[in-house]
Amino acid sequence: MFNYLLRRLITVIPILLGISIISFAIMQAAPGNPAVMTMDPTISAEARARQLEALGLNDPIPVQYVKWLSGVVRGDFGLSYTQRRPVMEMILERLPNTLLLMLVATILAMLVSIPIGIYQARKRGSALDYGATVFSFAGLAMPNFWLAMMLIMLLSVQMGWFPVGGVSTLGADFSILDRLHHLILPALVLATSDMAALTRYTRSSMIDVLNQDYIRTARAKGLVERTVVYRHGLRNGLIPIVTIFALMLPTMIGGSVIVETIFSWPGIGRMFISAVFERDYPVIMAITMIAAVLTVIGNLIADICYALLDPRIEY
Amino acid sequence: MQTQLGNWRMVLPAAALALAACGGGADQANTTTNNQAESVQSSEASTGPAQGGNFVIATPGEPITFNELYYQDSASGDVISMIHAGLIYIDESFEVQPFIARELPTISDDGLQWTYHLREDVKFHDGEQLTAEDVVFTYSIFNHPDYSGPRVSDFELLDSVVALDPFTVQFTLTEPSAKFATQAGYGILPKHILGEVPVAELGDYRAYNVERPIGAGPFKFDSWTRGQNLVVRAFDDFFLGRPHLDSITTRFVGDQNAAILLLQTGQADYVIVPINEVETVRAIPNVQLESTLALRYDYIGWNMRNPLFQDRRVRQALTHAIDRQEIVETILNDNATVAHAPVSPLSWAYNDNVPQFNYDVERAKELLAEAGWVPGPDGILVKDGKRFSFEMLSNDGNVVRRDIGVIAQQYLRQVGIEVRPAQMEWGAFIERISPPNYNFDSVVLAWGLAIDPDPQAIWHSSEIEQGLNQISYSNPVVDALIDGNVSIMDQAERAERLGKVWYALAEDQPYTFLYYPQVFAGLSPRVNGFTQHARVDVFKPYQWWLAQ
Repeated sequence: MFNYLLRRLITVIPILLGISIISFAIMQAAPGNPAVMTMDPTISAEARARQLEALGLNDPIPVQYVKWLSGVVRGDFGLSYTQRRPVMEMILERLPNTLLLMLVATILAMLVSIPIGIYQARKRGSALDYGATVFSFAGLAMPNFWLAMMLIMLLSVQMGWFPVGGVSTLGADFSILDRLHHLILPALVLATSDMAALTRYTRSSMIDVLNQDYIRTARAKGLVERTVVYRHGLRNGLIPIVTIFALMLPTMIGGSVIVETIFSWPGIGRMFISAVFERDYPVIMAITMIAAVLTVIGNLIADICYALLDPRIEY
Repeated sequence: MQTQLGNWRMVLPAAALALAACGGGADQANTTTNNQAESVQSSEASTGPAQGGNFVIATPGEPITFNELYYQDSASGDVISMIHAGLIYIDESFEVQPFIARELPTISDDGLQWTYHLREDVKFHDGEQLTAEDVVFTYSIFNHPDYSGPRVSDFELLDSVVALDPFTVQFTLTEPSAKFATQAGYGILPKHILGEVPVAELGDYRAYNVERPIGAGPFKFDSWTRGQNLVVRAFDDFFLGRPHLDSITTRFVGDQNAAILLLQTGQADYVIVPINEVETVRAIPNVQLESTLALRYDYIGWNMRNPLFQDRRVRQALTHAIDRQEIVETILNDNATVAHAPVSPLSWAYNDNVPQFNYDVERAKELLAEAGWVPGPDGILVKDGKRFSFEMLSNDGNVVRRDIGVIAQQYLRQVGIEVRPAQMEWGAFIERISPPNYNFDSVVLAWGLAIDPDPQAIWHSSEIEQGLNQISYSNPVVDALIDGNVSIMDQAERAERLGKVWYALAEDQPYTFLYYPQVFAGLSPRVNGFTQHARVDVFKPYQWWLAQ
């Protein structure tokens, strides 16, 4: 296992290098550039040239890449063009907000969808199975910006139960309840589509498993139904679900641009999008690389979980 | 709704490309014309303004720096208006008014020497007295060889600035400039804090610029939680007296809709309302909707590098063929006025004695025929085997401009011209239309104007190569009229000269001037003492107060 991990970690390096080269190239190839975006159109051509020089944007692109890379290797992601401060500092400010939102949404989705999926698999064709299926499809079909708007109009504006946005009440002292109060609506909106998808996955995966011979054997041995489903069935049925979770990890870091924007949630997603519009290259690269690292780690975690869940898998 | 992505800080389609967008009070005007700014009616008469309270502004834009010498975005400008004070400010009628200066400057007869006498009761937020030394320090930075900020060109004419005594400052120019009156509005920086910082490092000197800015303005910087809010508190020793409010909180929201929702639920007191959301806000009970004409005009620019648009008769015909009154009524709900020239009615330099090309399809057809265009087999005009067909570009996410493109397509179809409306993401769009690309046929855009009406930057042929003359307009007569207009110190004389420029431009129709839009502010019912300014979002915040 240890050797396997080591091997995997070594292969990660060329993958990340490749990702960084491709992202850097695509970013540079896109039309628009920071000089036009962040600078006042009235400033003189010489002043603009000086600013470009200071940002290092006059260097050939490969030189810019190597400079960037040598910084990253030393843990320095550079200065944001627009904010003029370290990119890492900006990301660390925002990351906790995004992680909190995504974790709560994911846990919410998991707590609701896995039990419902299992129940559906066991009681196939029941009214609840059909009911849950209808809700799942509705949840998948509903665009989350629409759901967010509706919830805000209904629960925040009309009923006044929840705040319209933000992470905490203005000027109030820190309180967990206040934080939760602000968290519920955006987390719910984010959880809805995951919930719907996870319910479907759990259901079909469990149906597959429950039709297997070893389940029949377990039942034939006279095991109680609870043991059959949860000990023998669920453990196998969860393997594909674990994969899905592991692959959801990078989306957590990307955040949800739409939900963060609608709920004024100061997360990474909003920062990433404005960086793209402003052509703030260092910020774009840093977030892309973090997402890449997380994708790789997510895959690794999935593989490890397989081994834990299924003793037949060995590395 | 501008679409979710339409309102990023630098990308504000309305403010974007604003000519001299910034400069806080650093632009100029001298007389009043037509100003429609109004003060909110208050119940002040009986008891006087209530003291105290926290005023909440909701906005999607987050600031970058609080040092006025380096900022380039309006979000930073708003906060700077709260914490800094300059020698002068520009009032809501665009007149220069003394602020830290006791009175307007005395100007020597040759227009070269400008002397300001300062108030003697001005203190910085840390309690230090503001003196002529601080003013000299601030203005010497602009001409320092290491200064890397965006304002170099504003101060090219400044020869020297010296303190004659602790409360008198004299600026000497290399040649007379009427524009200079406007340039004395920059927030004065404290020499006792920044005096030792090398000028080369001043732009990135975060200990002052973002962490602890000290100014002489009505509010002191308190805290900034990025992505969430920024708080400033009343400065007790502000030279005009302590502000009525205890604090102002600027709350950063995801987009303009979120800001309007906060206003609607009573969690915000002041929101800038985009023109396409005006009716939404009007429908909210109790909200005060203020409006004034913006210092701006919207236009369709014709790229003169394209042979299609090189004949003046053709450009006049294009304007004749588009019903601008209809555009104002249907797309803008009448919240705008049709424009005929590149100068705002708010400016002292405005002159409506210009040729007008109102909606007249028959005249348009005549002019096109005169220019040699004849209908082809498919109804589209043809000349020398070339069809009259072109692209009309605007920036993505701007609903108003998209609609204008579509309407123009229909109108021009009537005279046999084919228009293909297209939209592009802002960054790509700006790069495409700017030098050295000039890669467009026609473009729907707007100029936010500087308070000084100098037309140089947009219309002089020397600005084609690198400046803002993206359509490559070149007219020697106009060039000659523009040259030296800023040295005319007599305003009436300068207005007359500029009137000739507007006349020539209106006749040439390098743009189809569309309209002058209004700007709107939504205020909660408890706001009093608010004055709307066409150019500055946060204007005289020390006069704002909240009914208790």
